[in-house]
Parts: sequence; C-alpha cells; structure tokens
Amino acid sequence: MLNIINLIRNENMKNFRVVSTWVMVAILLLMVAIGGIITKTTSNSEGNKDWKAEISKQNEQFKSMLSEQQGLPKAVKDRYEKDIKINEYRIKHDIPPVETNTLWGFVISCIGIIAIVSLFTIIKAASSVASEFSSGTIKLLLIRPAKRWKILLSKYISAMLFAIGLLVVLFSFSFILGGVLFSFKGASHPYLAFVDGAVVEKSMVLNVFGKYGLACVDSIMMVTFAFMISTVFRNSALAIGLSIFLMFTGGTIVGLLSKYDWVKYILFANTDLTQYIDGTPLVEGMTMAFSIVMIIIYFAAFNFISWFNFSKRDVAA
Amino acid sequence: MTGKPIVQIKNIKKNIGKKAIIKDVTFDVFAGEVFGFLGPNGAGKTTTIRMMLGLMSITEGEIFINGYSIKKDFESAIACVGGIVENPEMYKYLSGYHNLLHYSRMYKGIKKERIEEVIKLVGLEKRIHDKVKTYSLGMRQRLGLAQALLHSPSLLVLDEPTNGLDPAGIRELRELLRKLAQEENIAVFVSSHLLSEMELMCDRIGIIQNGQLLNIQKVDEFLAEEKTTVSATFTVEPVSKAKACIGSIIKSKTSAVKNNQIEVEMEWEQIPEVVAKFIQEGIKVYGVQTATKTLEDKFLEATGGSEIA
Repeated sequence: MLNIINLIRNENMKNFRVVSTWVMVAILLLMVAIGGIITKTTSNSEGNKDWKAEISKQNEQFKSMLSEQQGLPKAVKDRYEKDIKINEYRIKHDIPPVETNTLWGFVISCIGIIAIVSLFTIIKAASSVASEFSSGTIKLLLIRPAKRWKILLSKYISAMLFAIGLLVVLFSFSFILGGVLFSFKGASHPYLAFVDGAVVEKSMVLNVFGKYGLACVDSIMMVTFAFMISTVFRNSALAIGLSIFLMFTGGTIVGLLSKYDWVKYILFANTDLTQYIDGTPLVEGMTMAFSIVMIIIYFAAFNFISWFNFSKRDVAA
Repeated sequence: MTGKPIVQIKNIKKNIGKKAIIKDVTFDVFAGEVFGFLGPNGAGKTTTIRMMLGLMSITEGEIFINGYSIKKDFESAIACVGGIVENPEMYKYLSGYHNLLHYSRMYKGIKKERIEEVIKLVGLEKRIHDKVKTYSLGMRQRLGLAQALLHSPSLLVLDEPTNGLDPAGIRELRELLRKLAQEENIAVFVSSHLLSEMELMCDRIGIIQNGQLLNIQKVDEFLAEEKTTVSATFTVEPVSKAKACIGSIIKSKTSAVKNNQIEVEMEWEQIPEVVAKFIQEGIKVYGVQTATKTLEDKFLEATGGSEIA
C-alpha cells in the first residue's frame, strides 16, 4: 500500500541529520589520511626505481629454492612458480609490482579499514531499531498505514545504503589520496592473474572491487546479526556490544576450536571466503560452496528472527 | 449522540502472561464527540489505547475503526486515525518541520501546503525549523498534535494531551478539540486523569478501573444531577451549638468540624432553613460556602480512591 521508497527516505533523513553520522565519515577519512601519511614517510621512494633488479633477484632466490629443496609441498612449489612467471612478465612488459607506496597498493592496503566501516554500520543498524524503542518514537512510527515488516525492511536497506556510502567514500578517498601521494601514473596498471599456467592481464579496478566484496561478506553478516539482536532485545548497547565483540573475537574462537569438525557450522568459520582463494580452509573438506550455503542459512535465520520479533511483538515501550 | 460510530470496541480483553489487564470492555465513540477516558494509574487506559492503535495485539474481541478491523485490516483502519501515545516523543535531533515531513511521507498524498496548514493550526510557525530538543514540553505537545492531524483523520486519539501545557495552552487545546469535533465532525478520544479538565472538554466520559469500564455518562447530565446535593460549609460561633442545631433539621451522616467551621452534605434547598435557625438560636453566622460535587468526587467515589490495581 505504501511506497517503501518513502520509508527509506525517512530512514536516510534520520541517519544523515544526526551528528554522529558525520563524525563517522570524518573518522574514516582521518584513518585513510593517517595511513597515507605513514606509508609516505616510512617508505623509501628510491627502492621503487630499480624494482626490476629487485624482482629478478627475487626470482633467482625462488629458482634456487625450487632446485635445491626437492621435498617442498606442492602448494609452495606452485606458489613459487606462479610468482616467478608473474615477475618475468612484469620485467618484460614494464609493469612494476604492487607495493603499498603505489596508487593501487595503497588502495588495497586500505581494504583493512572496511572493518571500521562494519563497526560504524553495526552501530547504525543496531541503534536504528533500538533507539526508536528507547526514545519512544516507535509508538508514533507504527501507528501509520505501513506494515511493520516494511518499516523494518526500510531500516535494513537504509543501514546497507549507509555501508555502501562509507565504502564509496573509503574507495574514492583512498584512490585520490594514493594518487596525490604516490602519483596517478600507476592507475592504468593491470592486475596480473595466473590462470592455467599463464599470466593474464586483468582490470585492477575489478580486482579491488572483488577484494571489497569479499571483505564485505563478514560486515553484512555482522550488521544483520546486530539488527537481529536490536529487534529482539530492543537495546542498542547490547546489540552493538555483542556484535562488535563477536566481530573481533569470532575468528579467534573459531581458530581455537578448529580441531573439532563441527566448527565448520559456526558462522565465523565461513565468513572469510578468501581462505578458499589464497589460503587453506580452516577445516579440511570445507569448500567455497559449503561456506556460501552456511552464510545464506545464517542470513535467512537472522532476518527471520528480526522480522518475527518486530512484526509480532507488542510495543510496550 | 447523532453521529455515526467511528470506533466500535467490542468485548476486548487483554492478557499479559496470566494477568488480565483488560477484562471485557465495550463502547463506541461517535463522530463529532469528545470522549473522555478516565481512570487511575494502572487501570488500563494506555493498554486500551495501544490496542486501538494496533501497537498491542488484542487477546479477545474486536476493535473497528470506520468499520475496518484493526486486527485484520490494519492499514485501512489506522489510515483514518491520528494519535499520541503517552508523551509526544519526536525525533529530537530533527527540526519540528522534518518530524512532520517524516510522518507525512508515511501517508498517501500529503502536500507541503497541508504541513504548513497544520503548523499554523497548532501555532508553531515561529519555531518549526528549530530542533525538537530545544522545545518545551508544551511545544512538543503542539507538535504531537500537528503530526496527529496531518492526514485529516476521522479519529483523534490523545493520551493525556494536557500534560505539560500551561493554563492558556490547555484552554487553547480545549477549544481546538471542541472545534475539531463540532466543525470537522472528528471523533476525539482523550484519556486523562485531569478530571476538572475533562469536565470542560468532553461530551461523554467513560470511567475505567481494574480493566473494567465502570460507567459511561454524559457530562452535562451528571452535572445537573449533582446540583441538588451540595457540600455546605458554615463559619459560625459557637460551633457546638450550631452542630446540634443542624442535627435537629437534617439527618446528615457527613459533618466535619474544623476550628469554627462545619461542613455538611445537604440539599441545596435546605440552606436558608439552616441559616434562619442559626439566627433564631443566636448563633453568629460569618459565612456560608457551597460546593457542588465535582467530577473528581464522582470519580474517586466510583473508583474507590487511588489504590493501584
């Protein structure tokens, strides 16, 4: 009956007219700036110039290791061979390696800051439901011709839009700052992938977006979790606290329990999809498909609990 | 009442856990009337309002608004209701205007002009672009009223609307509500414990206690009825003689003696008779004061004091 776009506009208005949102944006910009300044002052720009000599030296090391040590595991051997091929390709085509003091290197190093984006989004998502209850505004919000699930959905979408906004800010600012500090010349450098024994040039932008996407899986799950806690307990402190605690300790807990087979059913064992791309899975036998299914199941369960609590329970606040 | 019923509450019950909060309440509110809902703390006023507005589920029974069931057809039913539950809690970090904009987006087809119109109606033109956190409680009440009237509802539900208003504000609100009921034929449902206020504001009053509706009465009817019995206070000397004197005329159960005053509940018609007797007996009469039984007395009588159920 009611246009959900209007509900989302309302949530966005509430989000962006509160000071804390802009403080979050400022903190994000500040962190990228500090990262840039530290990288600039600690790296020696001289090293960049004779990168060809450096990587050919590196290749010699790899080669000697491959020939001297016969008992190397296959994964390590493959890794060396891949690196050698890519380095040779770099020298041949004059494509310098991605160091943190290059444009793309800096952008990629800033991906770690996505953890801060999740942190801020958790705070927003948790408080967007719980604060309506604690301030009593929920009573005026729910006596409108809009189904409760639509109001909940609009809050969820608005939190996701906030996250996307922060990610756009993070990417663009790290790109601009990287260019300013380390020159934009590197912007056109391709990403070198190793496919079926051959080096292939790929778009660096897409590679970075892929990395962003993988880093966001964890964020989306934690935001959904925070949202659930916030609708169930109607308390933003609890939702924020619990989600942040799990975000920072989840990986450690799973690591400690990794000797048990059932650990693979825990959410945090599955949210890091990079373990299948360049690393070893936490529990042997886990696959990317298994993790994706687990993530979808958790995602559906969290959202169902949120929906059920928000649309069925009495409002007595 | 001449209007059609806007609200039909039919045998509603509400249990929270095992406790019955509302036990079988039935009443109608008609278009064009101001209905007062009175009750001591914990009687179930707010619970009833929450059920009317769909904030709480109804354990048993039905509530219809404009013929739409709030249970089964929530969106159609609530679209014709404007309300404030308890305090008018608005988004404090937004301006008054943005609060109204926020709520206007939740209805179909509310234009900017309507927002301006409502702002003018509640008299907030000067401060509407200030943040709500800078508002006084009275201004928040006005803003609360503005958001409730935005979509021109046929039912206005106000929970303790005079809370925090100054005497001038209360009077203004009273006039506004009367005007809305009379001119726009809105049904106004007001809950309060400010009894004297209700007397002036409402056409009918329902008294609720322990989750049960005790009675519903027209305000003017019972004011007329109560006029016959008054509480009279005589300032006389000597008091003891006067007391005996009164006792000889009326068999009053309630007489209180304080300093040189005697308070007696008696028929209005008997006052001159008592005064004549006093003078005849040589008792000095310094003053006679009468007070009709107010709604407050009636209310306390009906609910048996302030005990929380």
